[in-house]
Amino acid sequence: MNTSSNPMIEMRNVGKSFGAHRVLRGINLDVHSGEVLVLIGPSGSGKTTALRCMNFLEHHDEGQVRIKGATLGYRVAPTGQRVRDSDREIAAARSPLAMVFQQFNLWPHMTALGNVMAPLTLARGLSPERARAQAMAALDRVGLSAKADLRPAALSGGQQQRVGIARALAGKPEVMLLDEPTSALDPELVDEVLEVILSLSREGMTMVMVTHEMSFAAKVASRIAFMEKGELVVVGSADEIIRHPTHPRIQTFLAPWVRRSLPADTVAAEVAAA
Amino acid sequence: MIDFELIASLLPSFGQAALRTMALVAVASSGLVLGFVINALRVLGGPAMGAGVMVWISVWRFTPFLAQLFVVYFGLPAVGLSLSPFQAAALTLALYSAAYYAEIFRGCWDAVPKGQIEAAEASGISRFSTFRSIEMPQALVMSVPLLANQTILVLKESALASIITYPELTLTTGRIVAERFVYVEPYLLLACTYWLMTLAIGAAGRRLALHIEIRRGTAQ
Repeated sequence: MNTSSNPMIEMRNVGKSFGAHRVLRGINLDVHSGEVLVLIGPSGSGKTTALRCMNFLEHHDEGQVRIKGATLGYRVAPTGQRVRDSDREIAAARSPLAMVFQQFNLWPHMTALGNVMAPLTLARGLSPERARAQAMAALDRVGLSAKADLRPAALSGGQQQRVGIARALAGKPEVMLLDEPTSALDPELVDEVLEVILSLSREGMTMVMVTHEMSFAAKVASRIAFMEKGELVVVGSADEIIRHPTHPRIQTFLAPWVRRSLPADTVAAEVAAA
Repeated sequence: MIDFELIASLLPSFGQAALRTMALVAVASSGLVLGFVINALRVLGGPAMGAGVMVWISVWRFTPFLAQLFVVYFGLPAVGLSLSPFQAAALTLALYSAAYYAEIFRGCWDAVPKGQIEAAEASGISRFSTFRSIEMPQALVMSVPLLANQTILVLKESALASIITYPELTLTTGRIVAERFVYVEPYLLLACTYWLMTLAIGAAGRRLALHIEIRRGTAQ
C-alpha cells in the first residue's frame, strides 16, 4: 500500500443531513492507493451516503472531501463561505473515480457495448473507434465480450452488473466505488460479480465497497470500516472487525451472520438446546 | 332524412376550410418545438430558470384559451401590434399548446430513472450530454403517443379561431348554416371532418411510435 503521497480519497469531518435527519457526522477516513476499504454496518447507518459523498453524488454539508489532494465539490471563499465548484471543476476532481451501483443503472436504450462506450465518447472525448476498442477490452475483462450487442433487458442481473463494472473500468479509473454491488442479485448470480471484484483487487485496484457480504468482505478487504448512526465506529483489518471482533456492537451486528456461517447441525443443536 | 346531394355540394367549401384548419394547426404545431425548448430550459437551466419556466407554463395552462385569444387579437393592437385572425390564432394556439407539450416532455423526462442520470454524472458525462444522449432517446419514445394526443386537442381547439373570424371549418360551417338554413348536414359534415383529421393525426402518431420502436430494435 502506498501511503507516501496524498491519499486517493480523504474525508475530513464530513457531515450530512437529509432535512432534520442527520445521516453522517464527523466522518474522517482516508483511502490509500491499492487498498480495498469495505464499509459495513446496519441499514441506515450511513454507509451508502458516505460512499456517495466520496464522488459528490451526495453533497456533504460539513467538512471536506479531497480526491488525490484536490478538494471536491466546494471551495472556501476569502469571506470564509463555502462556494460550490462549477460542474466542470467537480467532474475534473472526481475523474479518478468510477462508480458501480446497487441497481446497475445501465442505460436501457443502449447495448452493453454502448453503455461502456458512452462515458468514453461523451465524457472523455475518445473517437468512436478508440472507445469501441477500450470498451470491448473492458467487456472482455468481465467476460462479456460475446454479449456486447445485447441490451441490458436481454442480460441476467449478474451480467448487467458486470456491464456496470466494465463501464466503470473502461475509463481506467484509479479508484472504484461499489455500492452494494450484489444486493440486487439472485443468490446464484452473486458469485460471478464477486469473482470480478476479487480479481480486480488482486490486480491492485483501489476500491471502496459497501456490502453486506461479510465473508467476501473478510476475503477482499485491506481494511473494514464499521458505521452506525452516521458515525464511523471503528476501522480495522478483517481480522479485527470480522474474524475476531472485540467491539461489543460489532459482535452483536455480526452475530446473525456468524450463526448462518456455522454448520447446519451446530445451529440445529443450539436451537434444540434453547 | 339526410340530403346527400347537399353534402356533396358542400364538399368543396369544406375542403377549403379543412385546408385552412390544417394550415392553422400546422403553424400552431410549432408549439411542440417551443414546448421541447421550454422543457430543455427547465432541465438544463438551473433552479431560477426552472421556477420561471413553471410560472410561464402555469399562465398558459391555467387561463382559458379563448381569453388568451382575445388578449392576443384584441389586446396586442393597443401596443401597436396588429395581427390577422390567422396570425393571432396560430400564435395563441402555439403558445397555449407549448405549455401542454412542455408538460408532456416534463413527465417523460422525469420518468427516466434518476439512477441513470446519476450513473452519467458519476461517469463524468456533462448535463447537456446526459440530456441529449441518455434522457432524450428514452423520453421522446415515451412522449410520442402523448404528443399525438395533444395535437388532436390543438386541432379541436382551433375551432375557437372562428370567434375571431378566421374562416376555418367551424366558421365556414356556421356561415353555410346561416346562408342556407340547414343544420343537420353541415354540422354532421363538420363533425365527420374533424373526426377524420383526428384519426389521421392518431395514425401518424402510431406510425411514428412504431418507426421508433423498429429503429430501437435494430440500431445499436
